[in-house]
Amino acid sequence: MENLIIEETKYTPRIVLDANEGIIELKGKSYPENTFEFYKPMMEWLEEYFDGNAPEKIVVNIEIIYFNSSSSKLFFDFFDLLDEAKDEHQIEINWIYDEENDSAEEAGEDFIEDFEDLTINLVSK
Amino acid sequence: MNIEKLESILEEDGIVFLTYGGFLTQELIAGMTDALEKESQNAELSMKLANNIFIIFIELSQNMMNYSKTKQEHEDKFDPKGLIMVGKNSEGHYYVMSRNIVDSEDKNKIEPKLQKIKESDIAEIKRLYKEARRSGKDTHHKGGGIGFYEIAKKSSMIEYSFTPINEKKFYFMFRAVL
Repeated sequence: MENLIIEETKYTPRIVLDANEGIIELKGKSYPENTFEFYKPMMEWLEEYFDGNAPEKIVVNIEIIYFNSSSSKLFFDFFDLLDEAKDEHQIEINWIYDEENDSAEEAGEDFIEDFEDLTINLVSK
Repeated sequence: MNIEKLESILEEDGIVFLTYGGFLTQELIAGMTDALEKESQNAELSMKLANNIFIIFIELSQNMMNYSKTKQEHEDKFDPKGLIMVGKNSEGHYYVMSRNIVDSEDKNKIEPKLQKIKESDIAEIKRLYKEARRSGKDTHHKGGGIGFYEIAKKSSMIEYSFTPINEKKFYFMFRAVL
């Protein structure tokens, strides 16, 4: 499967989906005009990936400085998708935030509460 | 637009970071967010406070942008202009204020939600937020939705008013104080 790379803009994160390495990365800010449209290629890629030959071990690195509420909804769907794939894959999620960025930390904690069965590490830097 | 009122706001409140009235686009919102980032750096705000300002600003301005987009599809004479302001009041608290025109039908959707938020403590607001996020309903397209919960989580106080223009239209003023 081809890798998917979407470059960062002022209001959308850099997205790297590395099929062979099993690495999923999102880094930047997230407040697109149409969130669901923006993330559609990523979500479709992931669905196809987990239906096909995704490796056993998957690492997800998310470092989002701030995001709007529709992105929050989208990330919920994204975690939901990972939650469905977790029985067949060993998925490790790193929620990365600046140590001074309390709202990003809190957002990570919220996802941990909502997805108890996923391995989500809070990583401050 | 009442210029005198606006001037009195500007005079009473020490610092104004940003004020804009007019048609909102995504590029404009991103540009203003950039400007807010620079202002926050100059004012040496903590990252927590700065990010909360950006989040509330983005939420309110995208709300107005999306609202006017849906309205314009259905109404020829809809006035899409919004007013948004970020500043620091005389007590030293930062605030984000917005004002736009909504019709009575949307007022009836927004008002109970805001009333409920005003009556709720932070734990309840968090619960409402998570419930709305989980259900998949109540996204941006439907009258503010989950966004107001997000704003309430990041504010110490919210206030709002609906001022009638005619039987069908209202000025919707919203202010979040951090």
